[in-house]
Amino acid sequence: MSYTLIIAEVRRGVFEERNLDSAGIAALLGKEAVMLLPDGAYQTGNIADTIVKVKVGEEVFLNPLNLKNILEKVFTARGNPDVIIFTHSSFGMESAAYTAGAFGFPVVTDVSGYDKERGVFLKSYYSDKIFGEFKANGGPVVLSVRSGSFKEFAAEKTATRVEEIEGVAPVEGRTFVEYVEEEKADVDITKADFLLSVGRGIGNKDEIPAYEDLAGKLKAVLSGSRPVIDKMWLPKPRQVGTSGKTVKPKVYLAMGISGAFQHIAGMKDSECIIAVNKDTEAPIFQYAHFGIVADIHKVRDKLKEIMG
Amino acid sequence: MNILVFTKRVAATQEEELRIRDEGASVDLSKVPFKINDWDNYSIEEAVRIVEKTGGTVTAISIGDAESDEVLRRAIAMGAKDGFLVNSESVFHDPGVRSRLIQNFIQKENIPFDVIFTGVQSEDDQFGCVGGILGAVLGLPYSSMVIGIDAVEKDHMIIRRELEGGLQERIKITVPCVLSIQSGINEPRYVSIMGIRKASKVERKVFKAADYAAEAGPGIEVVQWAYPEKKGVATMLTGELDVVCGQLLGILKEKGVFQ
Repeated sequence: MSYTLIIAEVRRGVFEERNLDSAGIAALLGKEAVMLLPDGAYQTGNIADTIVKVKVGEEVFLNPLNLKNILEKVFTARGNPDVIIFTHSSFGMESAAYTAGAFGFPVVTDVSGYDKERGVFLKSYYSDKIFGEFKANGGPVVLSVRSGSFKEFAAEKTATRVEEIEGVAPVEGRTFVEYVEEEKADVDITKADFLLSVGRGIGNKDEIPAYEDLAGKLKAVLSGSRPVIDKMWLPKPRQVGTSGKTVKPKVYLAMGISGAFQHIAGMKDSECIIAVNKDTEAPIFQYAHFGIVADIHKVRDKLKEIMG
Repeated sequence: MNILVFTKRVAATQEEELRIRDEGASVDLSKVPFKINDWDNYSIEEAVRIVEKTGGTVTAISIGDAESDEVLRRAIAMGAKDGFLVNSESVFHDPGVRSRLIQNFIQKENIPFDVIFTGVQSEDDQFGCVGGILGAVLGLPYSSMVIGIDAVEKDHMIIRRELEGGLQERIKITVPCVLSIQSGINEPRYVSIMGIRKASKVERKVFKAADYAAEAGPGIEVVQWAYPEKKGVATMLTGELDVVCGQLLGILKEKGVFQ
C-alpha cells in the first residue's frame, strides 16, 4: 500500500514544532501518513495515521548512518513509501541527502510549496529571488521541507495507530559524544524591546562602531544576521535566526539584511519590522511592515544627524 | 592527512535583479558577477589549516565551465597544492548527478584521500546535498553542519555540528569520511591579486565531465522557474533622505521604543 513516510525530528526529549510542516505536506500528498520516531515520551499530537516507534535512543536515531539501517527495516516490512519527508534543519538537511544517496532516491531540499495538480515541488534558488518547480523522475522522492510552509495543512487525525519495531546496532563510524551549549552572553537579545539588526550590507567590520553608536542613540540593542556573526564582526549570542536566537521585539529595525529564510524564521513574529536595504528585491521587504530602499550608511548618518 | 576540497563558482546575486527568460525555461545570469561559493571558502581554509598542522596535501576540485579555473587558482593561493577542473558546460541541477560524477571521477582517477570536504551548500541552488549523497555512495561516514574540528587523529576526528538555537553537538567520526563545512567555522585568510597571479603558475589539470557521467539520468528536473509570490505588505517610505529618516523616527516614537 502506498504511504508517505515522515521522519520526525526530536531533540533532547522535545518533538520539534517544525514536524507540523512535514505533517502538512503529507496531508496535501493525501496518502497514509506514517511517522517514524525514536523511543521516548514525545508530545506528538495526532498528526499522523500511524506512528512507528523504533526502539533506539534519540542520539542513535538522529545519526544518518543509523537512520539508513532503520529505514532498511521499515522498507522491508512495509515496502517503499512514495515520499520521505524530513524537516529542513540541521538534522533533516544532513539525513535527507544521506538517505537519498544510500538508496539511490531523488531528493529536493528546502521545499516550500507543492502543486498537487502538476505534481511539482517549489524550491528556493538564489536566496529566495527565484524558485524552481521540480518534478521527480520516479521515486520514492526524498524531501526536506522549509519550516512554516505547510503547518496550516496539518490535520488532526481521529485515531493514530502506534506500532513498535526493534532497533538497530549503532554504527561505529559516527558516534554522539555530547551537547555543547552556547557561551554566556553579555546581553540577552531575546529580552530587548527594540533591536537594531545589521547584515552583510554593512560591508566591513570597521562600520560596526558607527552602528553601535546608532544603537546607543536609539536606545536599541544591536544584533546581527548570519554573515555578520560568521565574519566575527559581532559575537554569536547576538545572532538572530534559526541557528541563533528567535526574537519578538516591539520593533525590529533591519539594516543591510536581505532576509534568508533562516533569518526570517528568527524574527518574523516581531510586532513591527522595518527594513532598510538598497536592493529593492531583497526578500526581507516581503515580511516587513515598513521598508526603505536606500544606502544604509546614509540612513545611519542621517538618523544620527537628526537626533543630534 | 590528504584532503579533497570541492569548490564552486557561483552567481553573486545578493544585490542583483534576476530575470526569468524564455517563458520560465531559464534564469538570465548574463549580467551577474560570479564568485567563489562562500561555504567553499571556509572549507578550503579549514582544510589548509589542518594540513599545516598534520602534514599532507589539499587538492581543490571544481566541477564547472572553463571559468571555474578562477576558483581553483584562488584555492591554490590559499594553500591547496593541486587544482583539478572537471569540465562541463552544462549545469547539473540534480545534486545526485553531481555526487555520482564526483564518485566516478575519484574512483576512476584513483585519487587518494583521507577526508573529503564540501561546503554545507552552494549559494545559488541551496541544495546542501552533494556531500551527503557522496558520503553515502562512497560508503563513508558523513556529517554536515561542521562548525568546529576539535581533534584530528590518524583514524578519527572529533568535530562539532551546528544545531539550532546556538546549540552544538560534539561527535566522533572515523577517517576516511566526508564532511560538509558550515560558514563561520574559521576566519578565511585574505587572498591578494598577487597571490592569485602566483597561483596561476601552478598547473591545473583539466578533465572532461562526460568521461565520468553516471549511467542513470537525473532523478529530478526543473519544470520551470518562477518569481516568489509577492506578499507586499510593507509600506514603503519614499522621498528625500531627511524626510524618510524623520518618518522612521516617527514610527519608532509611535511604537513606544524611542522618545
